[in-house]
Amino acid sequence: MKKSIFFILMTFILIVFAAGCTKQQVKTDLGTAEQQKAAQKKSDVMSESIYPVEAADRIPPSEKSLIDFKDVLFDYDKYDIRTDGRAVLDSITPWLNKNKETKVLIEGHCDERGTNEYNLALGEKRAAAAKAYLISQGISSARLSTISYGEEKPVCLGHDENCLQLNRRAHFVVTK
Amino acid sequence: MKKQLSVKKILTLLFIIYCSLLTDSYAKVYIDITSPAFRKLPVSISYRGHETAKEAATIIKDDLDFTGIFYTIDPDVPGAEINIKIDVEVAEKIKADVYVFDLVENTAILSKRYTSSEEFLRTLAHTISNDIYYEITGENGIFKTKLSHIVSTSDKKWLYIMDWDGFNPKRVVTNGLTLNHAWSQDGMNIFFASARNKRWGIYMRELNSFREQPVFLSQGLNLVGGVNKNRIVFSSSKDGNPDIYIMNADGTDVRLLTKSSGIEVSPSFSPDGSRVVFVSDRSGTPQIYTMNSDGTNLRRLTFEGSYNTSPAWSPDGNRVAFVGRKNGKNQVFMIKSDGGDLTQLTFTGNNENPSLSPDGRYIAFDSDRTGRKGIYLMNIRGEGQRRITPGNVKTMNPKWSPYFK
Repeated sequence: MKKSIFFILMTFILIVFAAGCTKQQVKTDLGTAEQQKAAQKKSDVMSESIYPVEAADRIPPSEKSLIDFKDVLFDYDKYDIRTDGRAVLDSITPWLNKNKETKVLIEGHCDERGTNEYNLALGEKRAAAAKAYLISQGISSARLSTISYGEEKPVCLGHDENCLQLNRRAHFVVTK
Repeated sequence: MKKQLSVKKILTLLFIIYCSLLTDSYAKVYIDITSPAFRKLPVSISYRGHETAKEAATIIKDDLDFTGIFYTIDPDVPGAEINIKIDVEVAEKIKADVYVFDLVENTAILSKRYTSSEEFLRTLAHTISNDIYYEITGENGIFKTKLSHIVSTSDKKWLYIMDWDGFNPKRVVTNGLTLNHAWSQDGMNIFFASARNKRWGIYMRELNSFREQPVFLSQGLNLVGGVNKNRIVFSSSKDGNPDIYIMNADGTDVRLLTKSSGIEVSPSFSPDGSRVVFVSDRSGTPQIYTMNSDGTNLRRLTFEGSYNTSPAWSPDGNRVAFVGRKNGKNQVFMIKSDGGDLTQLTFTGNNENPSLSPDGRYIAFDSDRTGRKGIYLMNIRGEGQRRITPGNVKTMNPKWSPYFK
């Protein structure tokens, strides 16, 4: 009696084991439509399989500024202020001293030649260089903030050096 | 007690014999794809049943052809060494019976039924491809991996995720300007840097729930680099200058790794988390460096050219893909992580933002070679370059997901 129970048990275990090691007819179920939809539905709130498309490249909209200062321009892959940039910053300083209630956001920009992520860092250094110069001229750092847009917001869409130069810039957005 | 032990032994022995009888052919690796001299394996695919069988067969054919390991031939033409038969029935759901035969040794390699609802045919076909690939090569296929990437217009930079072959693009982040991003190692979360309210912050989105949370916010520029287990390496100018930092995935325990007066950006962990690769302009031009993930043992990796950025590790940690500027254009290069064996992989247009597949065999990157930037794939020798995103959409910065469980 004991033996026959043992035999049945062993046969049963063998079958279970066999199912584990064979690859015949192993069913892979990727879930029902309902299950998969439920998993997707959460994401469908935010996601559609549509791309935004533009017919042609456009100049991105720029921030409104109380006063339009000239941009400070930079050399390729550089973030030190040139002589012409110093002249631009020197011309800004008196206005900022007169209008002490204003704040300045300094945007750092790059031309399209570098890589996106490095250009974000480069733009940040350009904005920071302009900020440091204004601070050295007595403007309170509390009024100055920076943001880099790298190569993502060009002001000129051409690929010639003239355009590239205009895009390598620190741009000033003045607010109350 | 003694008797039970011996029964266990017998059972184990029987099990091993039984399994080895059944699975002898399965254990065989048909081609050693790690061998530099492997030849392409001729495969034929035949299908019958419901009309979706043809579609499934085409997806599987495209998957296998992409690898460069197989070449598919017409089932009527002799010469195939492997035959794949797909039999599809559709009632409420798709039922696909797949049989894979070794025609040389006349043995079955795979016999399996797959089911899914009809709208997930591509997922079903990619699952079949993965199983076939595994049975034949002994390695995991990448056919169910994803690519996160950025879709760009003049005023939008949105984060998307699509299948590795460019299908099923989905919006993930549309809030703010989003540029760089990194997958968590389990593929469940995406960390990304977004410019919101005039500052760059690091955020995390859970891909199942779509819940989002801020991870690191401060003045200046904050760009996520890489994720390893619970640690994140990133670049921040919170103290005035872009430097490399490391922190926990929840934004706590922030530690400075590098300090220079210049730019330090684009860090990522080696696959084992022990090293960090990053870009620094401390030599006067942007170059690629590695260091231990505590900031020690700094080494310069690139010496050729005056503009080397965007480094990405290979999954085995032996190589780094990066972008170098040559003859006025950006190109994808590979270099050994000890600095040897520099190889240029792209030659037309600007080619940027390389990211390696989890099996280390392929690279996703963006290119403007035909006008608008789009996402391309190639193998790590630079072969088989092809665009996978539409020509009229500006897409960039692909990041290859890990394998999904």
